[in-house]
Amino acid sequence: MSVAEQTKSSSFENLDWDVLWERYGIATVLLVGWIFAYFFVPKFSNPDNMLNVIRQSAFVGCAAVGMTVAIISGTFDLSVGSTLALSAYLGVMVVSKTESVPLAMLTTILAAMAVGAINGFLVTRIKIPAFITTLGMLYIVRGLSFIISKGGEPVRYNGKAFTWWGNGSLFGIPTPFLVLILSALVTWFILTRTAFGRYVFSIGTNNNAAKVAGVPVDSTTTWIFIVVGLFTGVSAFLIGSRLYSAGPGLEPGFELNVISAVVLGGTRLAGGRGSMLGTVAACILYATMGNILNLLHADAFVQRVAVGLVLLLALSIEGIRQRLFERASRQISTVDSEANSEDGKEV
Amino acid sequence: MKNILAKFWKSYSIGVVVVVVGIVLSFLTPRFISLDNLLNVMTNASLVAIMGLGMTLAIASGNFDLSVGSTAALAGCVSFSLVPSIGVTASIAAGLVVGAVVGLINGLIITELRVPAFIATLGMMTIVRGAALIYTDGKDLYLFGQTEYKVLSGTYLFGIPTPILFAVGISLLLGFIVSQTRFGRHILAIGSNFLAAQRSGIPTSRVIWMIFSIVGATAALSGMILSSQVLTANGRLATGIELSAIAVVVLGGTALSGGQSTMVGTLLGALLISMVNNGLNLLNVPIFYQELTVGVLMLGALAVNIGQGFDIRSILRRQA
Repeated sequence: MSVAEQTKSSSFENLDWDVLWERYGIATVLLVGWIFAYFFVPKFSNPDNMLNVIRQSAFVGCAAVGMTVAIISGTFDLSVGSTLALSAYLGVMVVSKTESVPLAMLTTILAAMAVGAINGFLVTRIKIPAFITTLGMLYIVRGLSFIISKGGEPVRYNGKAFTWWGNGSLFGIPTPFLVLILSALVTWFILTRTAFGRYVFSIGTNNNAAKVAGVPVDSTTTWIFIVVGLFTGVSAFLIGSRLYSAGPGLEPGFELNVISAVVLGGTRLAGGRGSMLGTVAACILYATMGNILNLLHADAFVQRVAVGLVLLLALSIEGIRQRLFERASRQISTVDSEANSEDGKEV
Repeated sequence: MKNILAKFWKSYSIGVVVVVVGIVLSFLTPRFISLDNLLNVMTNASLVAIMGLGMTLAIASGNFDLSVGSTAALAGCVSFSLVPSIGVTASIAAGLVVGAVVGLINGLIITELRVPAFIATLGMMTIVRGAALIYTDGKDLYLFGQTEYKVLSGTYLFGIPTPILFAVGISLLLGFIVSQTRFGRHILAIGSNFLAAQRSGIPTSRVIWMIFSIVGATAALSGMILSSQVLTANGRLATGIELSAIAVVVLGGTALSGGQSTMVGTLLGALLISMVNNGLNLLNVPIFYQELTVGVLMLGALAVNIGQGFDIRSILRRQA
């Protein structure tokens, strides 16, 4: 945070609103959206429908929880889509051979964590930038899952104990959503209450300063990628169970969906700041939008446009506010506006 | 001497790799070296290369464009659908305009709404893809009996297919722009230090609009060539190609941190991937090994390049 920004934050109008929007903005939008949809969208208020929406949000949501950690630390992982396909395939294969659900869960999650560990190794030891490492791994892991499956035949399994994880409910709440909430709570606790969490934030704020201050940057970064793998594995397990099957071509483009959910939730790509509440809210918001547009019989193509527009709209609010503030303050002093344009570009 | 070697390797490593891989492949399968096959390899390479050349500009300025695949689809569909009514030349021009306009919108979102390029183009990726699907109503477009549109992919000049000429021509043009014009210096200045560029009076917003318009236009050209190759177009054209385009640029040696670019590198990066894929096909390796190879090539190239200032002892020390 620059000196100019600090002086600015004392005049409460600027910083407060940005932080409030960043932390609670999407959750508020979601709340308002649900109230609106409850009364005005036909069939939305049906309890089954609403439960279905939150169930749907969990499949991207779990991976987004892990991705939030990565983005707070100032990096991200493009390989999650391929990791999802590989680990889901291995998990369903194991459960169809052994009929053991815990073993399948373990396989799925460990496979995904292994990919994360390789990412971490390449980034911290070989010093390839995270963007390129995970982009390369995107191709490698996708290729690997096609090779393992010998060309793309999906594996299937429909034992009740397995499909319950994706399709069942506990106390009336969809299981995947419970998994999502649990993942988000545990991760948020770790991020805010433990040394590891403080390391993550400090690396994201200023990598060099963190290093100088004695933060074990390399091992923390490796663990961050393993955590991303862990939660991608959780998503993979839930999706495999939801679909009763998994193929190597599962969910192309998943990585960009996950990143856009995290970013929509108010976590900054620049690192150092983020909100788990926002990530969960953003995932539910995307699921809700899809559901409402379906109920209104909008075609699937319009949904894509809507998803993109919401992302751009949410992300431009801060910039527009800054510009307005700038215009107002330019009349008062030029120094202030210069400082403003500076941190406008840092976003 | 060692210094000169290191410098040579740094600038030409991708070229050396291309030559070595080429020699190895021609020993493994003699068919690889036939003129027809080589032209085929280069034509395939030029599809991603054209898009990648625009992307090189964006990356040199420290930005990304994730919307290129969607832009290619929209421009391809629009120009394809206009052929019966306004003719081939005008519809190709229309496609380029569509691409440039999408790029300009990207630029405006980045500079005026202050959304980081990664997110701005990520949002535009889904929006433009949706627009392409809405425009075609999700159906395939065909051109019956009108083969003039093939001019983009099927004609030869001096025995060379047009896509290759486009790729080489665009790389020369953009290379000239970057190294010889004021606009080019502005791009590199923005890429190496945005604030310094802004403070020293470079019209950063205008430069960014220009960059993204060019990226959009190159993406549009790629999309049109793609649809002219098969004489169909649909809204799903070029899905997922954005990451391949970035991969080609990175493989070519343009640094993601911005401030530097090499157009020849991008061409060679695309050529390398196309060569390896072709070689694997000729050797009857199953097609799904190709993705694996692309990834390994990328990480390998980067690991070697970064290895310039890399001291193996630091690893050993840490493990001891």
